[in-house]
Amino acid sequence: MLGELFYIFIFPGFVFLINFAWIAEFIDRKIYARLQNRVGPPWFQPVADFIKLLSKEDIVPAASNPKMFKIAPLFALASAITAFFYIPLWKADALFSFNGDVIVVLYLLTLPTLAFFIGGWYSTSLYSRIGSVRSLMQLFAYEVPLFMGILSSALLADTWSLREIAVFYTSHPYVWMFNLLGFAIALVSLLGKLEKVPFDIPEAETEVVAGGFTEYSGRMLAFLRMTLDVEMIVGSALLALVFFPFGLNLHPVIGFLIFIIKILFIISLISLLRTVVARLRMDQMINFCWKYLVPLALLQLLFNLTMKGMFFR
Amino acid sequence: MSLIKKIITWARIKSPWILHFNTGACNACDIEIIAALTPRYDLERFGVVLKGTPRHADVLVCSGPVTKQIEDRLCRIYEQMPEPKFVVAVGACACSGGVVRGCYNVASGIDKVIPVAAYIPGCPASPKAIIDGVVKLLASLEDKEAKK
Repeated sequence: MLGELFYIFIFPGFVFLINFAWIAEFIDRKIYARLQNRVGPPWFQPVADFIKLLSKEDIVPAASNPKMFKIAPLFALASAITAFFYIPLWKADALFSFNGDVIVVLYLLTLPTLAFFIGGWYSTSLYSRIGSVRSLMQLFAYEVPLFMGILSSALLADTWSLREIAVFYTSHPYVWMFNLLGFAIALVSLLGKLEKVPFDIPEAETEVVAGGFTEYSGRMLAFLRMTLDVEMIVGSALLALVFFPFGLNLHPVIGFLIFIIKILFIISLISLLRTVVARLRMDQMINFCWKYLVPLALLQLLFNLTMKGMFFR
Repeated sequence: MSLIKKIITWARIKSPWILHFNTGACNACDIEIIAALTPRYDLERFGVVLKGTPRHADVLVCSGPVTKQIEDRLCRIYEQMPEPKFVVAVGACACSGGVVRGCYNVASGIDKVIPVAAYIPGCPASPKAIIDGVVKLLASLEDKEAKK
């Protein structure tokens, strides 16, 4: 009981996750700046931003629905953190596990997008409404390739439980290399989930100011930004487990270091991608996701089914 | 000054988010403000990020003498910003009206409409002057909090 509470609140739960999210945001911004030939922010920048936002005035627009407006950021943050407890990190075991938890994690990662929509919609500003509708529209484009990419790996392991996936890939080393195409697809889809640059259509600041976040200020904005950072960590942890499931049966300290390296590798890939590409239009993004990502994900599924029939019966 | 107050002041100084608003300038000061935000000068070193909405901003960077038409809008944008907030007037026109001082259609200076925390003269003010002005504003904020 005490151990579980420690897992949830201290390590690797709430406290560790939030600190790691700050580090990840710093690394993301620093790589982004260095690739643009800039110096970039100092290491404490995300912490300073967070504390400053906490100490600022909270404005609730008179036309908004105050209850929904205030609850949406907390709801988003809570669901992103909850998803973290189902993912095995550096050993082939998680805090909670049951058959089908890969679906639960994917849906818990979808809930923040829904919360952004609700918050943006109920703030009753024109820009927020356009931005929040865009974020829902985008959901229909990236969600299918993300699910297919991650479930193709689960299909090869013949289970829908993240713990069993970890056990399978630990007992069959090098099999994870079959899923590299799926990793590329899931990484591109994750950019859409995190609203990062090629797919930052919902908060495109040259078009819709700040999208669903336009009317948020102070504490609630701090929680929304924290949600995106935590989502980045949880998404990367999920991808790291499903597509790079090695180093899970080693000594916990070595396993922890490998876990950190895997997460930082995925985050650097995300920053690299968001530096080298420009924002797409909504129709271009939906075309791209359905015309290229989904067929590639189907190819990965077909390949995995063939491999499963040949080798893992 | 208690520890929490100190931490909050530190965070405010390290993370000023700005909103750029043209109050009727000839566009020269705006180009210089944008130049100060480009990779060459890299204001993100000081934690400065350009935001699109007044709700996220701490510092309102205005350029230009306030024309009659934009006066109401300037007040509305200022009121939409959450406390604590600061206004920086960039360029001779924003400080005092400049070449159009006393014209029938301008208010001749931002401080005739809303309180201003820092004045940056120049026609146009160079990016280096703008960065210097913002840094001095933040330093004065620290002194003010220390005196309380």
